[in-house]
Amino acid sequence: MSTVGSSRQAGALYWPVQLRRNVGVRGLFAVVMAFLVAYGFLFPGLFTASGFAKFTQSWFPLALVAMAQAILMLTGGISLAIGAMVSLGAVIAATTMTGPLGVAGGATAVALTGVGIGGATGFIVVKLRLPAIVVTLAGSFIIGGAALLILPRPGGAIPEWLSDLLAGNTPAAFVLLVLIVLLWKLYLATPLGLSLYAAGENPVGAYRSGVPVDGARVAAYAISGLLCTGAGLFVAAQTGSGDPIIGTAFTLNSIAAAVLGGIGFLGGQGTMRGALAGSLLLSLMISVMFFLGFTPVAQYVAQGLIIIGAVAIPQFRKVQR
Amino acid sequence: MTKSSFFASASALCLGLLLSLGPASQANAAAKCIKGDRKAPYTIGWANIYSVPTWMKQTQGTIEAEIETLKKQGLVDKLVVTDAQGDANVQIQQIQSMIDSDVDAIILIAGSSTAPARVLAAACAKGIAIINFDSLVDTDQVTAKVNTDSAQWGDQAAKFLIDAIGGKGKILVLNGPAGVSVSDDRRKGADAALKAHPEVTVVAETNTPYNVAPAQEAVTSLLFANSEIDGILSLGGALSAGAVLALDKQGREQVPITGENARQFLELWKEKGLKSWATMQPNWLGAFATYTAVQALEGKDVPAFVKIPLPVIDNSNIDQYLARAADFPADGYIYSPYDEDLFKKLLAEQ
Repeated sequence: MSTVGSSRQAGALYWPVQLRRNVGVRGLFAVVMAFLVAYGFLFPGLFTASGFAKFTQSWFPLALVAMAQAILMLTGGISLAIGAMVSLGAVIAATTMTGPLGVAGGATAVALTGVGIGGATGFIVVKLRLPAIVVTLAGSFIIGGAALLILPRPGGAIPEWLSDLLAGNTPAAFVLLVLIVLLWKLYLATPLGLSLYAAGENPVGAYRSGVPVDGARVAAYAISGLLCTGAGLFVAAQTGSGDPIIGTAFTLNSIAAAVLGGIGFLGGQGTMRGALAGSLLLSLMISVMFFLGFTPVAQYVAQGLIIIGAVAIPQFRKVQR
Repeated sequence: MTKSSFFASASALCLGLLLSLGPASQANAAAKCIKGDRKAPYTIGWANIYSVPTWMKQTQGTIEAEIETLKKQGLVDKLVVTDAQGDANVQIQQIQSMIDSDVDAIILIAGSSTAPARVLAAACAKGIAIINFDSLVDTDQVTAKVNTDSAQWGDQAAKFLIDAIGGKGKILVLNGPAGVSVSDDRRKGADAALKAHPEVTVVAETNTPYNVAPAQEAVTSLLFANSEIDGILSLGGALSAGAVLALDKQGREQVPITGENARQFLELWKEKGLKSWATMQPNWLGAFATYTAVQALEGKDVPAFVKIPLPVIDNSNIDQYLARAADFPADGYIYSPYDEDLFKKLLAEQ
C-alpha cells in the first residue's frame, strides 16, 4: 500500500494512481464532455446562475442514488430498494417538516431512517449471509409500503424557504454535491473506507489480512441508505411536497448510472467519479435530446444507443491494444 | 357649498364609472399565467407522462390534428413533444427544458398530482399558458384544468345498471387498479346509488389493470363461484370486454353491463346484442387543451376549470359509433365526434 511509503512518495504517487484509475472511464468522460458542450451550445442559458442551478438540481438526486448504488456494488452488493428509500425519505420530509418537528427535526428523522434501514439491510445481508438482491427486493416492498402508509396519496408540504434554498435559483445543490464528494474522499481515507474496495474485490483475502470486511459492508449499506433518503428529502424540497411513489424509477437508473460509470457487479471494481459521470450522462441526455428536437420514439432509440456507446468505447480501445 | 357638492357629485360619478368599468375590465382580463407579451404563431409544448398506451397514442393524434388546424390559421408554428416514460422526476426536468427553450404554452398530463407544482409555478411566472388535462395537478398555478368527472362516471354507470336489472339482483363490480385515483373516484361515485338500492347486492369486486385478459380471468373465476349474476358494473377500460368474453366462454347468458368506449367492447356489444351503457374519457381532451391554450394566449379569458360532460353511448346511438370503428385502432377507443364549435361551446358554458 502506498501509505506505507514516506508521505513525499505517497504524494508523488497520488496523481499517477488517480490517472490510472480513470483508464476505464475515459470514454465516458469524453461522451459526457461532448454532451455538456452540446447542451451549452443548444441552451446558452445554462451559463446563467439560474440556468446552472436548475440543471444541477435535475441531476442532483440521480447523482446521490448513483453514489448510493455504487458504494454497495463496490462491496459486491446491490440494492433494489433505492427507489423505495427515496420515496420514503420524501414522504417523511413532507410530513414532518411543517409539523412540530420542524426542518431540523424532519431532516434528522430522514437521516436516521436512512442510516437505520440501510444498516439493518446491511446487517441482514452480511450477518445472515442472505443474497443482497433478494433481501433488497423484499425490502423494497416493505419500504415502499411504509411510504404509502405514511402518505397514501401525494401531499404534505415542505417549508417554502427550504425549497427555495435547496432548489431555487442558487447552485446550492451543486455545492452540496461537491461537499458530499469531498466527504466521500475523506471516508476513503478512514480504515472502514479503505476496507471497502478490499471487502468487495477479495473478501476472503481481506479478512485474512485483518480487514474488517463485515463492518465495511454494513457501513456501506448504512451510508447508501442515508444517501437515498437524503435524495428523497431533496426531491421533496424540489417539488414542494411528498409523493409516495416518486422514487420508483431511481432503482433502475441508479444501477444504469453505476454500470455506465464502470462499476463492476462483482465488487471492488470502478470509481465513484465514474458513477457520477454515468448519472450526469443519464440526466444530460434527457435535456440534450429535448433541445435537439428528438421525438419521443427517437428518444427511446437514442437513449439505448448512447448507453451502449458509452460502455462500448473503452472496450473497443482495449481490443485495439 | 356648491363647490363641495360639485366635488361630491363628481367623485360619485367617478366612483360609479369605476364600478361599472370594474366587472367589464375583469371580463376582458387575460386568463391566469397570461401576460399578453407572446404573439402568434406560438410554439406549443406537449408534456406527456407516458406515450406507449393506445389511449395516449390516440390522444396525441388529436393534439397533432388540432396543431395542423391551428397552423393553417397561422396561430401555431411548432409542436414540441416530450415523453417522461412514466417518471415524474423526468417530467419535471422536461417541463424545465420547455421553460428554458421558451415555449409559449404547455399542455400536460401530470405524472404526479403534487410533484410538478413548483416547476409549473415557474412556467406560469414566465407567462407560459399551461393547460392540464386528464391527470390533474393540485396547484392553481396553471391557466386551466380540463377533465371529466370520475365520480359522475361511477354514479351514472351504477344508475343505469340498477335500472337495467329492475332495481334488485346480484351484481359484480369490476374496478381498475387499486390505489389509482381514477379507479377509486369512479368506485366512490357509484356508492350512493348502490346504497340507495339495498336489494342490489354486490356479490364480488375485482381490481385489475384496464386490460381484457386480467379482467376476463378474474370474472371467469367469479362466475364459477357465483351461479347467479344479474348484472355487471364495470368501471372502465377493456374490463367489460373481458367480462363479456368470460360469460361467453362459459356458455352463460349475457347480463346487463356497463362499460367504456373501447372498440372491442362496442363490437361485442353489437355482436351479442347486449343491453348496455358506456361513457368515455374522450381522447379529444388533448385537442381541446391545445385549442384552449391558444385561446388563452390570444387574450381570451378561459375558465380555471373546464368540466367536460361525459358523452354517453347506449343502445340508441351505438350504431353511429360502430359506423366509424374502422377509423380507430382495434385495441383503441372510439371517441365521440368533436369540432371547433363544440370547443367554443365548452369554453363558453363554464
